[in-house]
Amino acid sequence: MSLLVQTVILGLLVGGVYALLASGLTVIFGVMRIINIAHGALMLFGAFITYTLWRHIGLDPFAGVVITMIVMYGIGWALYFVTVRPVRRAPVTTSVLLTFGLAFFLEGVMGFIWGNNAVASRPSYVESSFHLGSFYFPKGLLFACLLAILILVALQMVFSKTWLGRSIRASASSEDAARLVGVNIPMVAAVTFALGAASAGAGGAVISILGSFLPGMQILWITRMLSIVVLGGLGSVPGAVIAAVILGVGESLVATYVSPVWSPALSIVLIFVILVVRPQGLLGTKLREDVAQ
Amino acid sequence: MKQNETTPKKPGFFSPRTMRYLPLVVIGLLIALFPVLTSNGYYQNMVIISLVIAIGAVGLNIITGFSGYPSLAQGAFLGVGAYTAAIGSINVGGSPFFWIPLAGLVAGFFAFLLGLLSLRTRGFSFAIITVSFLILVRIIAQNWPGLTNGPAGLTLPLPTWDRDFLNWPFHFALIVLLAISVYVAYRIRSTKFGVGLIAMREDEDKAGAVGINTPIYKMVGFICSAVFVGMAGAVYGYYLTFVDPIGMFGLLLSVQIILAVLLGGKSTIWGPVLGAFIIEPLNEFANNTLGGGNSRLVVFGGILVLVVLLLPQGIIPTVSKRITLYRERKQPGLTGSRIELCERPKPPRPEPSTEMVLEVRHLNKRFGGLQAVDDCSFGVPKGSITALIGPNGSGKTTVFNLITGMMTADSGEVYLEGKRIDHLPPWGRAHAGLGRTFQITRLFGEMTVLENLVAPLQEFTTGHLNHSAMSGEEAERAVELLGLVGMARYKDRPAATLSYGQRKLVELAQVLALEPRVVLLDEPAGGINPTLIERLGELIIELNASGKTFLIVEHNMPFVMGLCNPIRVLARGSTICEGSPEYVQQDQCVLDAYLGGDFVLEEKGASDA
Repeated sequence: MSLLVQTVILGLLVGGVYALLASGLTVIFGVMRIINIAHGALMLFGAFITYTLWRHIGLDPFAGVVITMIVMYGIGWALYFVTVRPVRRAPVTTSVLLTFGLAFFLEGVMGFIWGNNAVASRPSYVESSFHLGSFYFPKGLLFACLLAILILVALQMVFSKTWLGRSIRASASSEDAARLVGVNIPMVAAVTFALGAASAGAGGAVISILGSFLPGMQILWITRMLSIVVLGGLGSVPGAVIAAVILGVGESLVATYVSPVWSPALSIVLIFVILVVRPQGLLGTKLREDVAQ
Repeated sequence: MKQNETTPKKPGFFSPRTMRYLPLVVIGLLIALFPVLTSNGYYQNMVIISLVIAIGAVGLNIITGFSGYPSLAQGAFLGVGAYTAAIGSINVGGSPFFWIPLAGLVAGFFAFLLGLLSLRTRGFSFAIITVSFLILVRIIAQNWPGLTNGPAGLTLPLPTWDRDFLNWPFHFALIVLLAISVYVAYRIRSTKFGVGLIAMREDEDKAGAVGINTPIYKMVGFICSAVFVGMAGAVYGYYLTFVDPIGMFGLLLSVQIILAVLLGGKSTIWGPVLGAFIIEPLNEFANNTLGGGNSRLVVFGGILVLVVLLLPQGIIPTVSKRITLYRERKQPGLTGSRIELCERPKPPRPEPSTEMVLEVRHLNKRFGGLQAVDDCSFGVPKGSITALIGPNGSGKTTVFNLITGMMTADSGEVYLEGKRIDHLPPWGRAHAGLGRTFQITRLFGEMTVLENLVAPLQEFTTGHLNHSAMSGEEAERAVELLGLVGMARYKDRPAATLSYGQRKLVELAQVLALEPRVVLLDEPAGGINPTLIERLGELIIELNASGKTFLIVEHNMPFVMGLCNPIRVLARGSTICEGSPEYVQQDQCVLDAYLGGDFVLEEKGASDA
């Protein structure tokens, strides 16, 4: 019983981290109707930047996350104008194939810059655990989860309390109507994509604290995030948070009771089940374009 | 290539026309006979891998090029085929002639399963499903040692033939597979099935509305795209004599196959083959000169991005477009012809019978808090032109969507010729005899006008998939219908290049190609000029005289009152009045519904005083 509780605790903490990772992906889909398959690669990019800051300058990863987010925001902004903007209006196939190519391109670039060996940015103080009764909370995981929640809440504040957030939500619900009331659509799309990249980068910073990573992991991470987004309902942030927690706990259970090597397969099985049983996900609605005019 | 098919006169064997293809034939022969011509193992290997990528690309083109579903897992089917052959020949033994076709079947079966998973979803989810499958097969190959021997991989039996001919059997097997898969792709492109796949890419809902059984199309297309690459994977496995998770389920292979399709030209027959023979030499270059590993990722990921951005059409379509433009540089373009309104004697209108051909009973549809359709019942008499009018938001289009199955009703029944059809999917209702146009025309934009007309399916049989689309009876009938609406001259134009009014006419012809019992027109006169409206009215009367029944939603009252009888008036989701134009125009309920109940100027003035 205590093993089960401990497993669930670890799963919940991981789920908090996953929530941050998936939120950017789902917001980008909601606003731009683009599935950014390069989101996993962007996340690892953030992880490597945090790692470099910690390793070579000695900046604590929890502080480095700010710089990482700023750099990733810039990269996201540039990527938007160079690659995504020209295909905004193109069919699904186009944007999917584009970001699929981008994912591998970024993986190669990271390999050139940082090499293909596993690294991690773990300050010594995260090695131990807090104990509460017979249960333990690994400090790294706990801090990482708290940081992820903090950033997620901050991003949500941007979305719900600022003019920018309102324009983003307006364009998500109807781009044409938003344009008519004066929302600068290209700017909103660029900011959304850049914020998505920044949140991926922040997620990467958090991941770099949790454990080792290497460029080749991008595709595993993207399937994990996609499963969260699909489970939560494409475009829904609250859905993504719930789904992230479910997946975190689920993976933790599989790793404990089946085998750690099969826990990545859980997200894939989850995708398959959800798309058959409830294609719109937990909190998603059916897409408007499915309805005939 | 397509123009060549439609040319009535067959060119002689040595005519300049045929000779133009001579270089291509020579290149084809050189590739086909490559190992006979050179014994250089390095180049033989390069050609073999090019062939494997080409087979994968030709297959991928069917699902992603024709029907527009982005599959990222094509490389996974190659691995599935290779592992099938390896596991089979090690554990069971037997001839490659057994295991290679079986590998194709297994790959096809996996495609079938993935197809089942994606039945309820569209493009985005399909991409997600396929990318997950790509990862899943690798996880399984790595972590199920009992079946796959894990990361260590499996060793296949060595070939038993003379070393001098080492690569010949592999090479020729792949040539045969490529030839078959190109033929299959070509065949699909020229049949009703292929036209249906492309229609799905352009507008899946609309494809359903003209009778295309979209789930079956999607499924068959996906299976076709996987079978040959599975067989190629088996040949490739025998060739390498070794399969392991990294080599067979390498993610980059999927990128390369996608790239071959896009680079050569998606939706063309030879584009994927051309692309493959460009990609593989690049692959060797990246491996040998740039050092492999990260360079390959940067090169192929980067090229994929660049091709999507800069060469979205691919090489073959871009080049052939240039050539066509060059040839037609001095010919005048087609300009819109005037629509002639000739004084034809008005055909006798059939007396509407009391027999209802279409009947709606107690339909209900709620969107959240809004009861869009509220216990709506009405009938369409056989041989009539019935109008469905009502204020904006009264639920007319929703009723149309419920009748045609684009939406499902919360409750209620729909009968066509006495048969209940509300449980049928949209294509089933189209087969039963319903045809509809849309408020904003929905033609398949990238298809030609003629292709738009041969896409509709009056019924679904498996044999129908194999019917030639662009020749024979169907095409003749299509041209005839285009003549009827006066659009025959535009038959080879892409539908997207037509004007709005022209599209309305083509869409009407498209619906007529279904030979429907009832034609549902959603605002036929909306957004087109008065002359065209008049022409459309004539057309509807002519068709009605020949026995077609119409149900028309329209806001143009003179048009409705002159054309239709009876008229059904809809307000707040239910029918409030039915009858002849004269009767309806005097009905108090109708006046209230259109003008608003309290719209009484004088009384208001009186109460003020």
